[in-house]
Amino acid sequence: MNHEPVKAKFVTPASITLALLMILGGIVAVIRYWQGLGAVTNLSDSYPWGLWISVDIMCGVALAAGAFTVAAAVYIFGGEKYHMFVRPAVLTGLLGYVFVGVALLVDLGLPWRIWHPIIMWPEHSVMFEVAWCVMLYMSVLALEFAPAVFERFGWDRIHGLWRRLVPAFSVIVVAFFTYIMSHSVAWAVVVLVVFAVVAAVVPSLFASRPGVPIILVMVGIVLSTMHQSSLGSLFLLMPGKLHALWWTPMLPINFFLSAVAVGFAMVIFEAMLSARFFGRSLEQGPLAGLGRLLCGALWICLAVRIIDVLLRGELGGAFVSGKGFVFLVDVLVGLGLPALILSSARARESMTSLFTAATLAIVGVVFNRLSVALLGMTIPGKVGYFPSIGEFIITIAMVSAVVLLFTLAAKIFPVFTREEQDGFGLPAAAPRAAGNR
Amino acid sequence: MSKACLVDLTKCIACRACQVACKEWNGLEAEHTEFFGAPGGYQNPPALSSKTFTLIRFVEMTDSDGKLKWAFARVGCMHCQDPACASACPVGALSKTAEGAVVYDDTKCFGCRYCMMACPFDVPTFQWESPIPLIRKCTFCADRQGDDAGTTSVNDQPLSEESLARHRDSNRTPACVKACPTGTLKFGERGQLLAEARERMTAEPGKYIDHIYGEQEVGGTSWMYISDVPFDQLGFPTDLGKRSYPSYTSPVMKAIPAVVTGLGLLLSGVYWVANRKAKAGTSAQEDNNQA
Ligand code: SF4
Ligand code: SF4
Repeated sequence: MNHEPVKAKFVTPASITLALLMILGGIVAVIRYWQGLGAVTNLSDSYPWGLWISVDIMCGVALAAGAFTVAAAVYIFGGEKYHMFVRPAVLTGLLGYVFVGVALLVDLGLPWRIWHPIIMWPEHSVMFEVAWCVMLYMSVLALEFAPAVFERFGWDRIHGLWRRLVPAFSVIVVAFFTYIMSHSVAWAVVVLVVFAVVAAVVPSLFASRPGVPIILVMVGIVLSTMHQSSLGSLFLLMPGKLHALWWTPMLPINFFLSAVAVGFAMVIFEAMLSARFFGRSLEQGPLAGLGRLLCGALWICLAVRIIDVLLRGELGGAFVSGKGFVFLVDVLVGLGLPALILSSARARESMTSLFTAATLAIVGVVFNRLSVALLGMTIPGKVGYFPSIGEFIITIAMVSAVVLLFTLAAKIFPVFTREEQDGFGLPAAAPRAAGNR
Repeated sequence: MSKACLVDLTKCIACRACQVACKEWNGLEAEHTEFFGAPGGYQNPPALSSKTFTLIRFVEMTDSDGKLKWAFARVGCMHCQDPACASACPVGALSKTAEGAVVYDDTKCFGCRYCMMACPFDVPTFQWESPIPLIRKCTFCADRQGDDAGTTSVNDQPLSEESLARHRDSNRTPACVKACPTGTLKFGERGQLLAEARERMTAEPGKYIDHIYGEQEVGGTSWMYISDVPFDQLGFPTDLGKRSYPSYTSPVMKAIPAVVTGLGLLLSGVYWVANRKAKAGTSAQEDNNQA
């Protein structure tokens, strides 16, 4: 599939605004490093985790899920018509994870020790697994995005080298990951063999398509599955604090399923926004297809959540107290409503309702992560928590940075597919040269 | 055998000698506080903090005759047998020693504060005002557990083996226990202390409520309490269950290798099926590739 950089001006009023917001965040960060977390946040011994953990990190990871869901749809499930969404999604994922890392550097008490999990291996810690998964998956995303860079600069030799080395790298990564999580050589060997066989056999069986080696995609999906779900497992340690409407042994599965759903929602959302702001045309068919996938994923999320709460006999809690109300908003507005909208084929084909549903699903997942990390918690002691201005400024700066870097990268690298004919809907306003190579 | 501590709250007179001794031994600063009223208790400072590892909580309550009465509770790290904090920590900064203390290595910690979220008793605290913040909590005076007897001579006379041993024992006793004038706090072997708690409860029937807090909570703790006042009224969490907290996450962690292998096989299977189908539609695919 051919890609080309978006042709548009680099400096626009929007990009200047985003840059200013980033600078503002930088100023707050300086104060935070100078005077400690207490100086800029409302965090306390009662609420050690606040806005940054729940939004910048937990939502950041969830919203970056589009990279693996779309890659799975295209490369594994053979959904070739979604191919055009892969690179933008991988770029979003990569930037998303980079800024999850940046957010950690702000939130950690001693950020210069962020590398400590690399040398200290407490295999019983869920957070340790998340840390490793995120690190490894970031490298997978970088490798998935690398061809865009090679194409841009015409580095064909490196591209060839990349194609030859990536399969081995992928296999080693997944085997190594298994080893440090289990301290078991036997398991590491099993994983090494399974993935090595897949890596060796797949390309020879199927005249492998150009693009990303399938094994890299698989390892990306494996790592994503592991840490998307583990972000939920983090809260398994808090049965006393997290309300039973959210605390369930199913937490990892709920987190994984909602990440898959929001991954599709993000891809729809982004495709529509970039069509608007980059003046690109939109193809209705694939978007409506994504809408169907999103719809299915949302219904599954909703069903699993409700059945789980029912089976544990906790549903009554949904109709009493503030926490019950939060739960109802979480499942009915965040999952049910967009699922309902998308269940109609007409709605999936209407740009407005598709966009509305995708946005709802995104806001829904953000609200869900907030519910688990903050709103659903009962924390003893008198000190409440509401994020400070400084916390909001940092969070806004992070989002601005991702948006700004995404638009810059889309203008520099071949991220979007080359436009040959006008698609459905919005007219392509950008000058359409015949490509630059 | 691991060391433990038995707290008999019926004996506590809230002199706070333990609170002061803890501050002294750990070299902790004083706190600026304001008067703190009910319902959380009337103690000052109100809660544990990076400067207060041991706290006596003052609870005003009405007894069965409707009279006002005070009850006191020592608050601090329970030194769980299977600590949630240690299982949470991604860099292994927290660990349970063979002697029973849950200790913290301030050269490893990177300040993620997961331990604070995970602790069922909300014990670990953080130095919010510091640019190089650390987690702070009771160490069970792990730094007093060595073989140091504190002194080897008295009046220039070397100590006998027997007195050395006595000094050593006394030195190993946590600072708070040593300071307690009423015998509320007792340091010893966990099994023996449990037996003693039961003895005290049978010796004076009706005096204690029938529960040793910490015997089974979250899989058992090294600090255990007996009391004449129900524990929930003292502000102790009473719905924690007997299951050790790390056992909630360990199945998930143990499943990783199997899940990774299974996913690998599953994805390959799906790929195989999907691409067999796709072969029939190769031409369509190629069209797409050119688009
Ligand atoms: S009480 Fe909390 S801090 Fe102390 S050992 Fe148990 S889990 Fe850790
Ligand atoms: S704050 Fe420090 S001690 Fe606590 S879990 Fe994080 S790294 Fe471990």
